[in-house]
Amino acid sequence: MRAFVRRRGAFVAEVSPDERTILARVVADTCELLGTPISREAPDGAARPSGDGADPLAFLTWSADGIATPSDPALARLLPDASVTDEEVSAEFRRLTEADLRETKAARLRMVWAALQAPGDEVRVSPEHAMDWAGALNDVRLVVAERLGIRTEEDAEELHEALGSPRTGQQSRHSERDEIREALGMLYSALTWLQESLLQVMLPTLDR
Amino acid sequence: MVVASTPVSTPDTESVTDAAEAIAPDRPWRTIVWNDPVNLMSYVTYVFRSYFGYSEQKARTLMLQVHHEGRSAVSHGSREQMEVDVQAMHSFGLWATLAQDGD
Repeated sequence: MRAFVRRRGAFVAEVSPDERTILARVVADTCELLGTPISREAPDGAARPSGDGADPLAFLTWSADGIATPSDPALARLLPDASVTDEEVSAEFRRLTEADLRETKAARLRMVWAALQAPGDEVRVSPEHAMDWAGALNDVRLVVAERLGIRTEEDAEELHEALGSPRTGQQSRHSERDEIREALGMLYSALTWLQESLLQVMLPTLDR
Repeated sequence: MVVASTPVSTPDTESVTDAAEAIAPDRPWRTIVWNDPVNLMSYVTYVFRSYFGYSEQKARTLMLQVHHEGRSAVSHGSREQMEVDVQAMHSFGLWATLAQDGD
């Protein structure tokens, strides 16, 4: 993976076919979490991480009349309550906005997913679509972070340190659960790095 | 956003309203953005600049307030306008809430 750079009026990153497959999978999972599966013919290259037999990005359907806070905490990160003190304000807001928010988020995830299907290593993002990309990457990060249990700044630091330190002990004593967590952690780091690199080329365009 | 240590998954409800206050029609509302360990400082700054049209300095000040103090009131106005702003913040993946001034 190579960071986004500004090239001929667009933002361009390099993402290898293997990396694309993994990214596309987690983008599709996030879209599915929002209740709108992208495609049944999603790429099959990457192993879907599964802990305790459950998909960490488990599918959850929704209906338009569901105005409660989502029970899945990852979905609740994408569709948070609009009031911390007033349940009626939250419920009213959800009734008015949740369908739109789901569609906005799903639409840009579909756009990113489609771009990752293109052949080659280059990912080209036009400046007018850059915010959609940044928002989509952010939503995927929110979901993966929730699956990793990152709820405080300390959690985030711990993950960062765990990924940076060499693995200790016997490889064989490393449980399957640890490996899934490590893979998800690396995915999270890669998504963070890619989003940050996109922001670094987006921010200067605000000064023009 | 990166190094504070305050848990933010359950915003405190220190300012619980009573029913009489909650319906006061003439007090303005505000949009509050809460800190979380996922959103990048650069992203939050970009959202504040591009959506609200704030200067780099103002956007950065608000972003740092969210980061260090756990939250910041980023816009003020009618309830309807604040609902629009909160929806926009949610669309960007920022955790925002509505509150009426004085709550």
